[in-house]
Amino acid sequence: MTRPSGLPQPEGPYPPTDEMLAEPVPKDVQEAQAKRLRAAWETPKGWRYVTAVNNTEVGKWYCLTALVFMLLAGVMALIIRLQLAVPENDLVSADRFNQLFTMHGSAMMFLFAVPMFEAVSILLLPGMLGARDMPFPRLSAFGYWCFLIGGVFVIGSIFFDAAPRAGWFMYPPLATEDEGPGSDIWLLGLSFIEVASIAAAVELIVGTLKCRPPGMRVNIMPLYAWYVLVVGGMILFAFPPLIAGDFLFELERSFDWPFFDPTRGGDPMLWQHLFWIFGHPEVYIIFLPSIAIAAMIIPTVARRPIFGYSWIVLSAVGTGFLSFGLWVHHMFTTGLPSISLGFFSAASEAVVIPTGIQIFAFLATLMAGRVKMTLPMLWISGALAIFTMGGLTGVMLALAPFDFQAHDTYFIVAHLHYTLFGGMVFPVIAGVYYFFPFIQKRLMSDRLGKWAFWLTFSGFNLCFLPMHLTGLWGMPRRVYTYPGGLGWDWLNLISTVGAFVIAAGFATFVWDLIRPKHKQAQIPRNPWDGGTLEWTHDVPEEAWGVRSIPHVTTRYPLWDQPDMLARLDAGRYYLPDAEEGKRETLVTSVIDAEPVQVQRVTGPTWITLWAAAFTGGAFIFPTFSWYTPATISGALAICCIIWWLWTATAQVPEADSKDVGLGLRLPTYSAGPASVGWWAIWITMLGDATAFASLVFGFFFYWTASPDFPPDGAAHAVPGLIALAAAAFAVNWGLTVGARQLNRAGRVTPARICLVGAPLVAAAGAAALIYAVVELEPASHVYPAILWALAIWIAVHSGAGVIMQVYCLAGSLFGKLTPRYDADIWNVSLFWHFVTISALVTCAVLGLAPGAL
Amino acid sequence: MLGGAVVLWLLVNGAFYYLSRVRTGEFDQRYARHILIGGGIVLPVVVLTALLVWGLSILPDPRRPGDGLVVRVTGEQWWWRVEYWPEGADAPVLTANEIRLPVGQRTEIHLTSDKVIHSFWIPALGGKMDMFPGRETMISLLPEKSGTYRGQCAEFCGASHAWMAFAAVVMEPADFDRWLASEAADAVPPSTDAAARGERLFRSEGCGACHAVRGTENIGQVGPDLTHVGSRQTLGAGRLKVTIDDLSTWISHTDVLKPEVKMPTYDLELDQLSDLAAYLEGLK
Amino acid sequence: MTEEHQPRRDEDQKEFAEEQASLFKITLAPLIWAAHFAACYGLVAVTCAKGWDIDAVRFGLLVASGAALCGIGWVGLTAWRQWNVAQTGDFVNRGGRAEDRHHFLGHAAFLLSIISLIGVVFVSLPLVLIGGCQ
Repeated sequence: MTRPSGLPQPEGPYPPTDEMLAEPVPKDVQEAQAKRLRAAWETPKGWRYVTAVNNTEVGKWYCLTALVFMLLAGVMALIIRLQLAVPENDLVSADRFNQLFTMHGSAMMFLFAVPMFEAVSILLLPGMLGARDMPFPRLSAFGYWCFLIGGVFVIGSIFFDAAPRAGWFMYPPLATEDEGPGSDIWLLGLSFIEVASIAAAVELIVGTLKCRPPGMRVNIMPLYAWYVLVVGGMILFAFPPLIAGDFLFELERSFDWPFFDPTRGGDPMLWQHLFWIFGHPEVYIIFLPSIAIAAMIIPTVARRPIFGYSWIVLSAVGTGFLSFGLWVHHMFTTGLPSISLGFFSAASEAVVIPTGIQIFAFLATLMAGRVKMTLPMLWISGALAIFTMGGLTGVMLALAPFDFQAHDTYFIVAHLHYTLFGGMVFPVIAGVYYFFPFIQKRLMSDRLGKWAFWLTFSGFNLCFLPMHLTGLWGMPRRVYTYPGGLGWDWLNLISTVGAFVIAAGFATFVWDLIRPKHKQAQIPRNPWDGGTLEWTHDVPEEAWGVRSIPHVTTRYPLWDQPDMLARLDAGRYYLPDAEEGKRETLVTSVIDAEPVQVQRVTGPTWITLWAAAFTGGAFIFPTFSWYTPATISGALAICCIIWWLWTATAQVPEADSKDVGLGLRLPTYSAGPASVGWWAIWITMLGDATAFASLVFGFFFYWTASPDFPPDGAAHAVPGLIALAAAAFAVNWGLTVGARQLNRAGRVTPARICLVGAPLVAAAGAAALIYAVVELEPASHVYPAILWALAIWIAVHSGAGVIMQVYCLAGSLFGKLTPRYDADIWNVSLFWHFVTISALVTCAVLGLAPGAL
Repeated sequence: MLGGAVVLWLLVNGAFYYLSRVRTGEFDQRYARHILIGGGIVLPVVVLTALLVWGLSILPDPRRPGDGLVVRVTGEQWWWRVEYWPEGADAPVLTANEIRLPVGQRTEIHLTSDKVIHSFWIPALGGKMDMFPGRETMISLLPEKSGTYRGQCAEFCGASHAWMAFAAVVMEPADFDRWLASEAADAVPPSTDAAARGERLFRSEGCGACHAVRGTENIGQVGPDLTHVGSRQTLGAGRLKVTIDDLSTWISHTDVLKPEVKMPTYDLELDQLSDLAAYLEGLK
Repeated sequence: MTEEHQPRRDEDQKEFAEEQASLFKITLAPLIWAAHFAACYGLVAVTCAKGWDIDAVRFGLLVASGAALCGIGWVGLTAWRQWNVAQTGDFVNRGGRAEDRHHFLGHAAFLLSIISLIGVVFVSLPLVLIGGCQ
């Protein structure tokens, strides 16, 4: 049993009584508080603006960057459509065309759809939750800069005729054998962005779980927050398999380790599995947050609470789960046993049910409400019309016999664009119109909005409706041209015309978005009469997020708690002040949102930019096989991140607790499960464990798929060294946890001794593991290659773990880590829980598999 | 299925339109609950269960045993290597870029690939089946009507994926047997002077390093077997017709007609081209 | 609803433990679905690749389907009791009290068990309708 740290517990009355809330705040106090708050949250000006980390700024940059990437990918689509307008066209070469469609898909998925979810959520979520900011603002900024660098790198390659060209799905052996840097750009550039995506997902999950306003229990969270939670969870389980796949793929590209090469025991099907285990949930990762926007707009339009809140929660969670059982429907024609196809066919049909429930919950809300049509609602109606169509063709495609015909034809192109336009593009644009007043404190034009809608909507159907027929008439996807006289000519021409009508619609929308609006009169604070917390925003804008963090007891507080807004503005609620001049937000408990801590959040900084730039170098240089600069860059990135953590996280506070208003005193520091950092590590490591599990899956996949795995007479890992490694990792774990317990107990010197021993033992364990496989020839066969890959995975993680242990030791020596303030070592031991399990599993696979298989 | 989809689409979107535009007032909550449970759970469960049971029951078995003939097709970048293995044969009949099948008989088509993944697809005869390097997949087809159909690669396989097609000819069994016998025979010798000159050119330009013309010294296996190229329906895997003009165009513009193809473009005199084309066209 | 705070710690912890359990319960039914799905897919894949006895595996998996359905049914039943709609008549659970949240978690878990039930039935259909490893 761990001894309590001695830090104070929350003290004082909670929840607040009506009398407490009704008591007015004196005017002069209000003004003094507002002044201090404004100073603490001030956005840096001039060239320092880029150092901002506030969610409203980072969110805006994120959205705009994703929009620019989307427009670029859209232009690529227009070139594609021009090329296909007539048969045997030679507007672009085959190679250029293949780069264009590869980049169109990759950019739309990785540089637009997923980042857009994260961007919008970073921008809106704190507002909806009445929080000042995300829990880790610098992490959002870091994620954004990574995204920008990686995105520019990936999409820029097309201007140098060096873009990836094996399709956004990068199937080996086509992609592995491709000459030129295209595939590496895809792999490394997008892995870099995926890491940033996971960082954002971690932040969003922690934000939703731990930064809700007091009183907002899980049953009254805005639906958007539920979706963020589900989608964040999905990202954690969907992206890591792809990262594991990327890891193997890049090892094959760089060092010729034959993971996907059938001549040396590899199997291209493994990539297909890993890719689509990511790829299908990805569709729902894109779709759910957009439908979440609809779930915010529809109650406002219907002027009543959402009908069937629990049903929508069910639908989001249910879709999240079921979407992981669909991936093989992208592989129906690979010759798998029919019975396996049957499972995926069944799950693909089953997922329709929660999706349908969502739509019927919206219908029911409109039915029970008094509908007031608005422009955002028009876009939502368009989304529904398009999405239901894509859903219905999806039901057909889930039936394997139909898919055998339609697979890889233009029918699929039509289907996927119907689901993505209906399920993502239209709702997001609806969201832009709806939330623009919240973001920019201005309104967009109703007239231009209608023009944009009708152009996009009609253009979309003109472009994609005929493609169903083109596909059924046999036109395959991804062809740079086609022979005339097969009946495809006029259908393609119509599609091309439609594509340009869509472009006109987008142009109108973008113009409306960016046109100067300075002359516009100040908007009303709650222009749509919404009921959720984001509409308590300040007009004109304030950077503090919310003047004071309210106590929320209803799903639509602006409708149901009539006194709330005035009290909030007066600073009657929590954290109305910034006495110490520090940025702070409230941490609450996961289920019932009881206030538990005041979290100091970080402010503007250059370090995130540097960290992102060097991380970018570490990913980008290997594309050109510049391994030395990459290593230096990686080392600098680690230094930057250590500096950032050392100077800004888990700081010893000037006082153990502080008054947060309404008589409540909350601790200013916490460690272990009570702290947001611990949750972040936990969630990150869950994703990391998924990636590791994918590698182990790979090992057993080879065993299943191939009769000679491991091959007869193959050399195995050295058993003695494996046993040594396992023992070392176990001892290291004991020392790390021991250091944590000893330190908490006040026995600082023994704790430090443990922290000296642990990194040495961990390094020895990693070295033993590498030595166990060092004699094997990874380029000769997939068996030694996968053993090597597992060993490297563990060694790299051990390296990170050793740095963390040394960081804790330094913290202990320099007073950052004490028996009372010990968050760092809690987080590090949590990290080691996961890595130790991975390491022991690896030792078991390496050591026992040769005998068992 | 299409009709059902249209009806469902109209129902959902009609309801949406009606509720958001026509009758915007409040309904009783009871109705709302009915529409949520009825539309969200009951209706989809009934429809989807029926569809799924139907879909699973008609799931074709691509590995059903055939009636004897086996055709082995290898996907290459970007053409099709085709071997016919009649029942009991010890050696295959080799050809390329054309599949001929007897009508009314189930033929097993064994599929593999040399380097990257392709997908074998004759839309009129059946679904797709992917072709993997280092692995054999199978699709068995039972053509019911004779005629010529178009087949093509459905999996993106590189620069000239668009030009990886073939003709699938379904013939009466007797015709098929006759055709197979003639296909198994060696190449006919050139019958005109031009063709004879072309034959010499074929050798001197080194065409035989990649292409085989059985019965001659040309035994290359890198590219398509040309023993009976003159009798095929298409040239260059569905790219052109097999005429003297098209053959000349192909030889002199290969890289334009089929980007990144391995076969080099031959810069020959016009008369040489027509001689070579005449020789190939004569390989019936 | 406001006057009673400062509950004793142990009470607090007991309640938290209970709600942790019900948060877990929300995902329990879909987790059973996922485990069942993974077992079906994994076992059939290995069986077909290694040439084991597919009929025995199908039978075993159908038994597993039955077990999964029972498990989900049990989750659904306890969730239904937790929701307690028969007594409260509250289909919405939008209140701000601990009790509302408690009922809500039951409601959501109940609905998810229905979806998971349908999912397991659907995934079991191929086991019945499709024979060997074609």
